[in-house]
Amino acid sequence: MDFGRILLLLAQGAGQTILVTLACILTGLGVGLGVAVLRRLRVRGTAWLVETYTYVFRAVPVLVLLFIMFFGLPALGLKVPPMLSMMLSLGLIAGAYLAEVFRGAMDALDPQELLAAEAMGLPRWQILVSIELPQMLRLAVPGMLNEFTTVLKYSPFAYTVGIPEITRQATALASTTLRGVEIYLAAGLLYFGIFQLLRIGVRAVEKRFEIPGFGMH
Amino acid sequence: MIPESVNSSAIWVMPMLELLGFWRDLVAYGPQLVEGLRKTLVLAGSVSVSGLLGGILVFGLTLSQQPAVRRITEAWVSFFIGMPLLVLLFLVYYGLPQWGIRLSPFAVAFWGFTLNVSAYNARYLATAYRSLDAAELEAAHAQGFGASQIFLWIILPQVLRLSVPALTNQVILNLKDSSIAFLIQYTEFFAQVQELAAQNFRFFQAYVLAGLVYLALVSVIVLAARRLEARIILPGLER
Amino acid sequence: MALLEVIGLTKRFGDRTVLKGIDFSLEEGDTKVIMGPSGCGKSTLLRCLNRLIEPDGGQILFRSEDVTRADTDVRLLRQRIGFVFQQFALYRHLTALENVTLALRKLKGMSSRDADAKALLELRRMDMEEHRAKYPAQLSGGQKQRVAIARALAMDPAVLFFDEPTSALDPEMSREVVALINRLRYEGVTMLCVTHDVSLARYVTAQVIFMDAGEIRAEDEPERLLSGHHDPRIREFFGNLGHADA
Repeated sequence: MDFGRILLLLAQGAGQTILVTLACILTGLGVGLGVAVLRRLRVRGTAWLVETYTYVFRAVPVLVLLFIMFFGLPALGLKVPPMLSMMLSLGLIAGAYLAEVFRGAMDALDPQELLAAEAMGLPRWQILVSIELPQMLRLAVPGMLNEFTTVLKYSPFAYTVGIPEITRQATALASTTLRGVEIYLAAGLLYFGIFQLLRIGVRAVEKRFEIPGFGMH
Repeated sequence: MIPESVNSSAIWVMPMLELLGFWRDLVAYGPQLVEGLRKTLVLAGSVSVSGLLGGILVFGLTLSQQPAVRRITEAWVSFFIGMPLLVLLFLVYYGLPQWGIRLSPFAVAFWGFTLNVSAYNARYLATAYRSLDAAELEAAHAQGFGASQIFLWIILPQVLRLSVPALTNQVILNLKDSSIAFLIQYTEFFAQVQELAAQNFRFFQAYVLAGLVYLALVSVIVLAARRLEARIILPGLER
Repeated sequence: MALLEVIGLTKRFGDRTVLKGIDFSLEEGDTKVIMGPSGCGKSTLLRCLNRLIEPDGGQILFRSEDVTRADTDVRLLRQRIGFVFQQFALYRHLTALENVTLALRKLKGMSSRDADAKALLELRRMDMEEHRAKYPAQLSGGQKQRVAIARALAMDPAVLFFDEPTSALDPEMSREVVALINRLRYEGVTMLCVTHDVSLARYVTAQVIFMDAGEIRAEDEPERLLSGHHDPRIREFFGNLGHADA
């Protein structure tokens, strides 16, 4: 079996890898943004919840959390499908890291501008929606891309809960052909290709929303 | 064994007995868990050290005068950063035996992690290097220092300090990621937790316990890192 | 005997010729100041002389020895030339004292005790002894420059190069540094100083070399260059500086 054929067989898992990665990224973005807004608006009574979440979910290994969700919860009578268990583990962990990225970007905003917006009489939520979030998201692009890449690189864990992605295909193929080196190198190559797609996608979005002279490179 | 009647008559007794049973198993299985924890700490600790030394070496090579050396090093770093750690471990563990190279699970984990971690650390150091003052390096050349002396006494002390947050963060990642070594049959802490769970089918409790242990260990590193940062920060050098 | 003799020195960056055959010499114990408009090549010249930049052609005789040759020990040459930068270039992770001792310990192999003693001597000479334990970020611009000079002097260099030593300083600090350089001159330190600062040129009353577009246009006493020189380029340059001062 030549390298090209191996690549082709593994590529059948690429779609699932992309699906898992995107599902976890979207979960992370939703939760991360929610946390950023709660923090920024200092919503009463949420501070402890938000701080506990970001601390705990950045301290527990992805694999441990995944096993809690997929193997642990069913023992309590809660059945969690594979994809959802990935979103509840890798996705929520990404959310905690993204919340920190957003916090850093919020801190980099210019207080003078926000003061000026207040002086204009804009309501608080309006300042958030039309000034803080648009600027913050642009400043957070490098950190976001970093975190998205991390999600992609942890996505192989999906094989442990039976999702037929690249690594799953690779282990199956390796057990029947004993050509582990080529197979896992091919898998690495596919991940690299998906990483490039991700990078190009993020850059395209960044370019689309680019503001001349504002914080980006 | 719990009588069936008790089980159904008092709903609140059930979780208590569950917990009690889990506690009993935990005590019985304690020595294996402790041994697993030891292996986790050995792996995370040794790759933190080797990854730092490797990172310094790789970073040094990226500053080489030879364009060829720089390019090869850059490609090397990109490869190991781009490769998911799990796939790298599988490559070494399941792939190399086809060429007659059989390594122990620990050896595979150690080398796989070291390659991965040193690539990341080299990146952090390179990022810090870019924030250094070019005039300072010119001054060192003007004083007559050689390239290796400048690296050792001017560049390294500064980039290491600037990178402390990133480097300690990497130590935390090492500890957390060490849990994937059980997938290549290294019997570290999480592998022992699996064993415990498989024996009594109390999966939820066992995995939550594992999560709490990692949480505690990470907290220790976070506290230690804060003290380290406060101690070695230089006036005007913080970012 | 000339400490430094430069003969026909040239340097090109791509298709731009920055130095078009520079000739001058510097005697032991002398001080010369190089002036000229931005981009005239004066900083490049200074960096060619200790080979931080490689010259393309010509000769540099350092105590009669041609140091442009390929087999020259460049690092040894640099150790004999103290270099003081515009932006001070202190090592930010080292205290004032450590900035001075680093080269003594690592390049001259002195023991920590001897290096400390020597460094304290130089810091005292620059009135910086009381600040020895401070880091660069805790010093004012003038103080940083004085540490940088102490760092250069500690190696007992044959000559001290200054590249715009006062440009990054406010007028008061700049006067302090000028006074220090003047004191060094009376102590017999050989110096070569690139500057924009007319007061520096005038106060250390050395020989001024005027450079323009990669060439030396004139070499004379400062007063003769500063007012009513026959070369219109030179008149224009100092006339503009006069306006800038006012």
